Amino acid sequence: MAAFVVRRVLLMIPTLWVIATLTFFMVRLAPGGPFLSERDIPATAIRQLEKSYGLDRPLGEQYLTFLAHAARLDFGPSYKYPGRQVREIIFEAFPVSLELGAWALLFAVLIGVPIGVIAALRQNTGADHAAMAAALAGVSIPNFVLGPLLVLWVSLTWFLLPPALWEGPQSRVLPVLTLSTAYIAYIARLTRGGMLEVLRQDYIRTARAKGLPERAVVFKHALKLGVLPVVSYLGPATARIIMGSIVVESVFAVPGLGRHLVNGAFNRDYTLVLGVVLFYAAFLMVLNLIVDVAYTRLDPRVELS
Amino acid sequence: MPRLLLLALALGALGCAQPRDARFASASAGPRYFGDVTPPADNTLTYNNGAEPEGIDPGVISGQPDGRVARAIFEGLTTPNPRTLEPEPGQAYRWEVSADGLTYTFHLRPGLVWSNGAPLGAEDFRWSWIRVLRPETASRYASFLYPVRGAEDFNHGRIRDERQVGIQAPDDSTFVVTLAAPTPYFLFLTEYYTLLPVPRAVIERQGPRWTRPEHIVGNGPFVLRSWRQGDRLVFDKNPRYWDAARVRLDHVVALSLEDLNTCVNLYKAGVVDWNPSGYVPSQFIPYLREYSDYRGGTYQAVAYYSINVTRKPFDNVWVRRALAFAMDRDAIARGLLKGSRMPWGNLVPMGYPGYPRPPGQTYDPARARDCMARAGFPGGRGFPTISILFNTSEDGKRIAEAVQSMWSRTLGIHVEVLNQEWGSYLQATVALQYDVARRSWVGDYLDPTTFLGTMKSGDGNNRTGWSDAHYDGLLRAAAVELDPEKRMRTLAQAEALLLDQAPVIPIYHFATSEMVKPYVRGIEDTPLDVHPLKYVWIDRGWSRRLAAAR
Repeated sequence: MAAFVVRRVLLMIPTLWVIATLTFFMVRLAPGGPFLSERDIPATAIRQLEKSYGLDRPLGEQYLTFLAHAARLDFGPSYKYPGRQVREIIFEAFPVSLELGAWALLFAVLIGVPIGVIAALRQNTGADHAAMAAALAGVSIPNFVLGPLLVLWVSLTWFLLPPALWEGPQSRVLPVLTLSTAYIAYIARLTRGGMLEVLRQDYIRTARAKGLPERAVVFKHALKLGVLPVVSYLGPATARIIMGSIVVESVFAVPGLGRHLVNGAFNRDYTLVLGVVLFYAAFLMVLNLIVDVAYTRLDPRVELS
Repeated sequence: MPRLLLLALALGALGCAQPRDARFASASAGPRYFGDVTPPADNTLTYNNGAEPEGIDPGVISGQPDGRVARAIFEGLTTPNPRTLEPEPGQAYRWEVSADGLTYTFHLRPGLVWSNGAPLGAEDFRWSWIRVLRPETASRYASFLYPVRGAEDFNHGRIRDERQVGIQAPDDSTFVVTLAAPTPYFLFLTEYYTLLPVPRAVIERQGPRWTRPEHIVGNGPFVLRSWRQGDRLVFDKNPRYWDAARVRLDHVVALSLEDLNTCVNLYKAGVVDWNPSGYVPSQFIPYLREYSDYRGGTYQAVAYYSINVTRKPFDNVWVRRALAFAMDRDAIARGLLKGSRMPWGNLVPMGYPGYPRPPGQTYDPARARDCMARAGFPGGRGFPTISILFNTSEDGKRIAEAVQSMWSRTLGIHVEVLNQEWGSYLQATVALQYDVARRSWVGDYLDPTTFLGTMKSGDGNNRTGWSDAHYDGLLRAAAVELDPEKRMRTLAQAEALLLDQAPVIPIYHFATSEMVKPYVRGIEDTPLDVHPLKYVWIDRGWSRRLAAAR
C-alpha cells in the first residue's frame, strides 16, 4: 500500500512536467499577447514590460526559468494584476472554491445517494420513475439557467436570500444549490445503477436466504459495493466541483478560482494560466489516488499493484 | 415615457440642454423605483465598481474601474467639478498661465499631507510625473504628458536627463510646467488619474506591492482599507485630506462585479446603491427606463467600423465611401439596439464646447451604389468577398449580421461575419489582419483631439493603415494655434476630411445608462461618466423630502 502510494506520487512528477510543458507552449501559441489592449500601449512600454517579465529572452531560456521557478511553486506575478503573485491569487481564491465545492459535494452525496438507493429498491415503480425523471431534469438544466431562476424566485420575489456576493452563511445557499443540482442528479443515477447490479448478485441472495433483515442486506452488504461507481466518479467530480465553476462564480459574484482559469486564458495571462492549470492538475491526481485507495477499502476484490 | 426620453436624446443631439427631469413631469402617479429603496444605516456607499481593477497605481493603470479607485485615493493639482468636470482647485489652490499659453505655475495648498501624515509638496508631483514618463515605468498613458516640453523624448529614452523635461519644483509649494505647444485642455489632463501624485517613499520601499492595502498611502478623500480580488475594495474617509470637512461618506464599498445580470440583481435587492453606466444589460434598458432611478445620458464614446486600407479593394476610397453610405445607422441604433444608443455619423461625439462639428456620414443607398460603380464594381460585380471582424459579444454579433445584410442588399456584394475572442481580435486589429473591424473609442478629456488624434498616421490606435499628410498637417496646425476658435475650426476640417476619406465608418454614439438609488446624492450626470466620490452623500430623509416637495 505505502509502496503503491509512493510510486503514484513519484509518477505525478513526470505527468506534471508534461502538462507544464504543453501549457507553457500552448498559451504562447495563442494569437495576441498579455499586453495588447483596445487602447494602444506605446511600443517602448510594451518592450519594457516584456523585459521586466523576461519575455524578451529566447523561448528556451524562458521555459527553463519557468520550470526552475515552478519547481519551487513560484509562478511569478500575474501579468494582468501586476501587484499580485500567481501563488497569492490561487491561495486567496482557492479556499472560497473549496468551501463552495465541499458544501455542494456534501449536499450532492447526502441527497443523491439516498435517492439512488430508493429508486433501485423500488425499481420500476412510480417512485423510481419520478426520481429518475427528476434526475434527468437536474442533469439537463444548465447552471446558467438554474442560478438566475433561483435568484429570481428566492431573492428577488420572496426576498429570502441575498442574490449574490460571498458574505455570511445565507449567501452560501443559492450557489451551493445551483452547483450541486447536476451532481445530485448524476450521483442518484450512478447509485441506482450500481445498486441494481449488486442486488442481483449471489451474495445478496445468500444474505437474504440466511434470513437477514432487508435493512441489513441493503445497508451492510449492498450499499458498500453499490456506491462504487459513485466513488470512482467522486474523484474527478470533486476536482471539478472544487476548482470552481465560472458560471456559478459569475452569477453569484463568488471570488473563486474558476474565473481565473477562464479569464487568464482570455487575457493571455501566461503565468496565471500556468499556475492554475498545474495546481488543478496536481489536485486532480491526488484525488484520483485517494479514490484508488478508497476502492480497496470498499471492495476487497480490488488490489493495489 | 420612452418617447419622451428619445425626444430628450434627440434634443441632446441638436446640442440643446437635455431636459433631465422630464420623467418627473410625466410620472403623475409618483416616482417608481426599481427594487429596495431603504437607505443604509450609516454613511456607507456601496457601489458596483465593475471589472476587477488590474491595479490602482495611477501612473500605470488604464480603464474606468481602475480609475474610479485611483481617484478615490489620490487627488491631482486640479480636480473635476462633479457636474461639468471643469477643472477646479485640488491640491493646487491657484495657478497662472503665461500669455503664450506655454507655462503653467501651480501653487500648492499649504500644509498638504499624505494619509500617513508625511508632508506633500511640489517635489512629490515632479517625481510622480517624471515617473510616468520613465520608460521602465511602462505607463500606458504616458502620452498624456507629451504636451510637456521634452516629455515625449524622455519617455522614448531619447533624452536621459529629467531636468530637460519641462516639469520643475522650484520650491515646496510651487510647481512649474513648461509645454511644448499651447494645450487648451491641459488643466483637464492635470485632473486625470495618470497625473495623480504617488508616494515616493512607499513605492521605493515596497516596489510593485505598494498599492496593497497594508502599504498604500494617498492624498485623496479616501484611504484603502482592504482589497479582496474579485470581490470588493473597502475605503474609509481620509481624515488628513485637506477638504475632509466636505467629505460626507465615512466608508465606501466598491464591489467588483462583472456579470451584468448580477449587477442589476444586487441593485434591485438594495445591496448596491449605485450601478454605474456599462453595467446594465442593453436589453433591459427599454424596461428599466420606466423607473425614476434609471438615468440615461450621453457618453463621449463612439462605436465604428474601421477599414483596413492596406488591403485591396479598400485602398480605393470609392469602395470605402460606398460602404459608409450603405450603413443604415438608424436601423442599428433605434431598431436593433432599441434606442439604447444614438445613430451617429461622426467620429467626434457631441458635447465638446466650441467645436463646430462637420456634417457626419449619412445613409444613402443610391449614392452608395453610385460610389461602388465609380470604384469599378457596378452592382457589386467583380467585388471580392469581404469579412466583418468582431470580438465575442451578443451585440457585436447582431450588429455585424445587420451590417452584413445591409451591405449585401444595397451593394450586391458578399459579406461574411467573423467572430474572434478578445485576444485574437486585438491581435488582428493591431497587425492589420482584417477587412472591416468593430472598434469603439471613449474620450479621455473634453477636447476633440482625444478622438481625432487616434487617426494620425502611424498612431497606435489608428489600426486602419490609413495615412493622410493633409490630415496630419491640420492636426499639427491646430496644436500650435493660439486662437481657440480657429483651432476648433481646423480640427473640424480634419474631421470632415476623415469622414470623406472614410477609413472609419461611425455607427452609434454611446449613451450612459446607470441606476442610482434615490437616497444617493451627488452623483451627477457628467459628459465623461466620471463621478468624484468626494461629493457623494447618503440622504436618509430622501422620501420625506420628496413628499414635502410634492
